[in-house]
Amino acid sequence: MFGRMNRRYDVVVVGGGPAGLAAALGALDSGVSRVLVVEREPEPGGILRQCIHAGFGLHHFREELTGPEYAERFVTQVMDRDIDVAPHSYVTGLAVDSSGHRLVRVLSERGGLATVECRSVVLAMGCRERTRGAVRIPGTRPAGIFTAGLAQKLLNLDGYLPGRRAVILGSGDIGLIMARRLTLEGCKVEGVFELMPYSNGLTRNVVQCLDDYGIPLHLSTTVTRIHGRDRIEAVTVAPVDETGRPDAARAWDVPCDTLLLSIGLIPENELSESLGIALDVVTGGPKVDSTLATSLPGVFACGNVLHVHDLVDFVTEEALRAGRFAGEHARQIRRPRDAIALVPGANVRYCLPHTLSADRPHTVYMRAKTRMSPCILRVGNLLERRLRFVVPAEMIHLTIQPELLERFYEDRLQIDLLPVDGGGVP
Amino acid sequence: MTARQEQHYVCISCPIGCPLRLVHEGDQIIEVEGQECNRGAKYARQEFTDPRRTFSTTVPITGAVYGRLPVKLSAPVPRQAIPAAMAAIRLLSAEAPVRLGQVLLRDVAGVAGVDVVACRTMDRVMITPSDDPSSAT
Repeated sequence: MFGRMNRRYDVVVVGGGPAGLAAALGALDSGVSRVLVVEREPEPGGILRQCIHAGFGLHHFREELTGPEYAERFVTQVMDRDIDVAPHSYVTGLAVDSSGHRLVRVLSERGGLATVECRSVVLAMGCRERTRGAVRIPGTRPAGIFTAGLAQKLLNLDGYLPGRRAVILGSGDIGLIMARRLTLEGCKVEGVFELMPYSNGLTRNVVQCLDDYGIPLHLSTTVTRIHGRDRIEAVTVAPVDETGRPDAARAWDVPCDTLLLSIGLIPENELSESLGIALDVVTGGPKVDSTLATSLPGVFACGNVLHVHDLVDFVTEEALRAGRFAGEHARQIRRPRDAIALVPGANVRYCLPHTLSADRPHTVYMRAKTRMSPCILRVGNLLERRLRFVVPAEMIHLTIQPELLERFYEDRLQIDLLPVDGGGVP
Repeated sequence: MTARQEQHYVCISCPIGCPLRLVHEGDQIIEVEGQECNRGAKYARQEFTDPRRTFSTTVPITGAVYGRLPVKLSAPVPRQAIPAAMAAIRLLSAEAPVRLGQVLLRDVAGVAGVDVVACRTMDRVMITPSDDPSSAT
């Protein structure tokens, strides 16, 4: 029930975005009945509520939905299946008592500070945006500099237009979608500037959000200075060389009253860190085994807090699994420890989960370091698959069947992405 | 007799993004080049004959948890109809409660069968003074 929070649950989910909602449903599917979702906003749904564009659900529902529509399908299920949702609430800590119960400390607008007892916890706090400080843009510190997602929230939830003349740094999908959105609302978008020689967003978004509206995309170019005293008045932009160093001789100024930053996302792991959970320096999220359990017993992680996904459909898939394992844990079902470490090899930035077991199928998510087309995905000496292309912006997913691991007696399995000519098997 | 001309597109059917070249004489398509699969040719033909797009925006809503209601088009409209559709939507407003899929405007910008529909349910809520930003001083 919306707004209800009891003292005792089987599973407590931290965060009511797409990951948290699916994790709650997954927990219920595993046979537990008492599940609580703790959400800091006034309603569940998370970032999807402000992502009003279409493009969600093509994998999970096989139809194209807007963010709010995708969220509502899960919110409706959560409400129908009598999962408790505590809005305006925040998890401030977690402890384990002598009988092995987890005690979750919840701070909420209505109930003040409360302690909720449970058997499993699912971390689903999502991620947040990198800010100006992360890329150290020199210049003054005027108003009018927003992360793209903040501008999206102001525009789509609150109805405020952030400015009249905008420059966008970073060509991730949020930046591209905001370029179109601002243009439709009457704001002139002077251009999108991207440090890399390629766009970080989907081709579809470059075509439909920039080309359709005549918004220029400047590749290998970055913002090198911010001008303006009270409000931003202009930015200096400059082309960069292969090492990313800007060429001041070819710089030019772009007048604007708004700068949007779409320069990457960071998993929001302050809570995990305060609990001493082991994190992966590459993903920025917790290290997890094949049940998506973190290093802290009974605590699971899924969604963008685990690693930044590009499609919400994969968040849903992962979170349903995490929820099921959390539910099993709450029912005292214990599995043997994973025996195989999964490690990234050539051109693989990271792969998840960090360990595997040989007793059941596993979904493995990974990301490439650089673009390759075509290439071979090799899993130890067990599996080779030819892929038409890999790009860093597109997560690769792979199912490893138990038959494959049946006669695998080593403790370390490496995943490589190899060029087709150099890496063929004998 | 019209001269041969060509149009360039980037295929959006998948992340490869094949650069496509479509050769035509007037309205007559002669050939499509550059695609790695059939979807590329299909995309270029569609873009040349009838490029269609959809978009989302918001309309003001009173009595709900937020001041904006997200809306979308029920189907794509011809690309050149987007400004007219946007102008028509700008005149709309809503009052909570609103149901997901509720039609706010039929045949937007004169495009038959394309409606403006609500993308979410927004219940009527009691706004307490502390929640209302306009009452803040």
